[in-house]
Amino acid sequence: MPAMRRREVVQFLGAALALSFVPRDVDAAIKFGEELHLQLGDVPFRTLNRDQRLLVTAIAEMIIPETDTLGATSAKVPEFIDLIVTDWMSDDERAAFLVGLSDIDARSATLGSPHFVDLPPEKKVELLSALDRARAEKAGAGHAFARIKGLTVYGYFTSKRVEQEILKVRMFFNGYQGNVPFTPAV
Amino acid sequence: MSPTTYDAIVVGSGISGGWAAKELTEHGLRTIVLEAGRPIDPSVDYVEHVRPYELRYRGMRDRKRTERYQPIQRHTGACDEWSSKFFVNDLDNPYSFPENKPFYWIRGRQVGGRSIMWGRCVYRWSDLDFEANAREGFGVDWPLRYKDLAPWWSHVERFVGIQGRRENLPHLPDGEFQTPWPLNAAEQKAREVLLTKFGGERLITNARLAVLTEDHDGRQKCHLCGHCSRGCITLSYFSSINSTLPAARKTGRLTLRPFSVVHSVIYDPVKRRATGVRVIDANTRQMFDVNAKVVFLCASAMESTRILLNSSTSEFPDGLGNSSGELGHNLMDHIMGGGATATLPWAKDRRDLGNRPDALYVPRFRNVKSKHPGFLRGYGFEGRADRAGWNRGAQMPGFGAAFKKSLIGDLGPWRMTLDGFGEMLPRHENYIELDPHLVDAWGIPALRVNCAYSDNEKAMQDDMVVSATEMFEAMGATDIRTFKDDNPPGLVIHETGTARMGRDPKTSVLNAHNQMWDVPNVFVTDGACMPSTANQNPSITYMALTARAVDYAHQLLNRREL
Repeated sequence: MPAMRRREVVQFLGAALALSFVPRDVDAAIKFGEELHLQLGDVPFRTLNRDQRLLVTAIAEMIIPETDTLGATSAKVPEFIDLIVTDWMSDDERAAFLVGLSDIDARSATLGSPHFVDLPPEKKVELLSALDRARAEKAGAGHAFARIKGLTVYGYFTSKRVEQEILKVRMFFNGYQGNVPFTPAV
Repeated sequence: MSPTTYDAIVVGSGISGGWAAKELTEHGLRTIVLEAGRPIDPSVDYVEHVRPYELRYRGMRDRKRTERYQPIQRHTGACDEWSSKFFVNDLDNPYSFPENKPFYWIRGRQVGGRSIMWGRCVYRWSDLDFEANAREGFGVDWPLRYKDLAPWWSHVERFVGIQGRRENLPHLPDGEFQTPWPLNAAEQKAREVLLTKFGGERLITNARLAVLTEDHDGRQKCHLCGHCSRGCITLSYFSSINSTLPAARKTGRLTLRPFSVVHSVIYDPVKRRATGVRVIDANTRQMFDVNAKVVFLCASAMESTRILLNSSTSEFPDGLGNSSGELGHNLMDHIMGGGATATLPWAKDRRDLGNRPDALYVPRFRNVKSKHPGFLRGYGFEGRADRAGWNRGAQMPGFGAAFKKSLIGDLGPWRMTLDGFGEMLPRHENYIELDPHLVDAWGIPALRVNCAYSDNEKAMQDDMVVSATEMFEAMGATDIRTFKDDNPPGLVIHETGTARMGRDPKTSVLNAHNQMWDVPNVFVTDGACMPSTANQNPSITYMALTARAVDYAHQLLNRREL
């Protein structure tokens, strides 16, 4: 529950208990509350619906996973992607992206699940590897993956936490040094 | 002296206007600088240290806003999420062009003008450039030569503070240099290889930049944050806000008036002199006059000419001082967008520290010692070698923990870019005029721009691709990717011409001292004055011409000849 704490959800639901369609068990209520909260616009997602958000989050986290350092989800990459999809993309670009997300799930169906997020890990890797090879596609699943990948890398490395905790970006230098020994840490 | 009467008026506060203000006031002249745009407060407006995460789109621009309000300005890279505020609102500042001849006019209207966002590359010319028009029969001959301008280049370079490497090239003379930043390991190796493979004909040298490597005249040396076009709180690069306007203010003889849109020059047909300028207050829209003994038009090449075109009289029905018929004509830019990028095969165990705003330069080598069969004049390359770091991630195959670790712990290969900047020939048919159907937000007639590259420039751009590829092949580079962009003129933001200097009042607008032949107390010292544009970045030449013209005007004033 990244956006709301459990207790807050229950409190939030208190005001809506008079509604006949409010679920009565806690887990269902929490899920409902999250969705209702989303609709009220009090969380950062404005275009991606629940399934799309889960899909984008799963892929972003697979591109840059949580390891000994934070991953894409902790760096709020999915929120950044939703911002770009909502405010930055043109209508045509947004439509193509959302169609591409549907295509990813359609490709997932051929591997055993109508939703990418429900595939077993090895199948997820298999599909994502195929999409990674299809990044040049102008539309469809490969196109959507390319957008997610580009925005994940950009959103992750331009986030405050990654700049400060991982990259430790320096802004000030006492002169330019052009010949400094370097050994990759990979 | 009434409050609206001065010794001198300077229109515009950018590169040229700042220099005019400094030199005029230091010569003892009470000077008003009229700037169409707003004042700039560096403590608020300079944003070079704002990180991407502090911006809504992390530096990807407010795309929809720029598409709506800056459909022209957005085409230049510096009009980004940090610096778009330094570029004009295109809706307030319209102009037109024929549908088949686009021209991107990139403008900054604020105190400091485009000197806030300029590229800071500064190169002298040689007589190869000054003599080209006469030698080849294009345009008119320059009324001066290298020896006339050399002391003025020195004068401005000493004040500006310029880093550069002395190369002793006859066609790219050295200037007054601070010690440059070193080339990085990959660039240094590339320099050595080209020296061997091309015998010195094609040379990688350090970019000559108006960015300090040593503290200078109260300004601090550059701290290499790398984002000059967003301002500089340590005043380490030259701009009129950082340098010339403070110097002018120090004299006590400067009046700086922002929000002052100059409508026209006021002409007295009896005295055959300008008496001042007509101004519209940008906020109140009220019109008022400012009077002075001498007027310096430094509003940028096309704006200064626009003011003159809008100052027609019965004597000059086609624009003030246009007895030659050349006012508005011979518009030039440079041509860019030809070159290549490649992976260099060396220095894999080396990195750099510090974010240089600019790095290297390949001086012109075509039509220097031998004639090229395909085109006249020449071009140079701007470029750099960098390791992309995490920026390579979107193009790099893979995902997952190893992918992440590589982006964090490795830097990727050294990639070098060579991007050509070539000379555009002066042509009468490239011109600006007042659009009879279009006005700006202040009711002033807007420009219609008629300009296109000729076959000469296009052949030059083709050759940029060829020669850049040759250099990379000589280096043993891999993954060579050529590019040839179809940019319209204007986008290099080196627009020049439209009120050219010359030796004959029948064929030119200005004399050898930037003085109008027809109206002797009006000087035009920005890019409008140029009879040709060479291939070098032009701003330092505008500065030198401005300082020289002010010195001349001061002499005339002392002799009461204005």
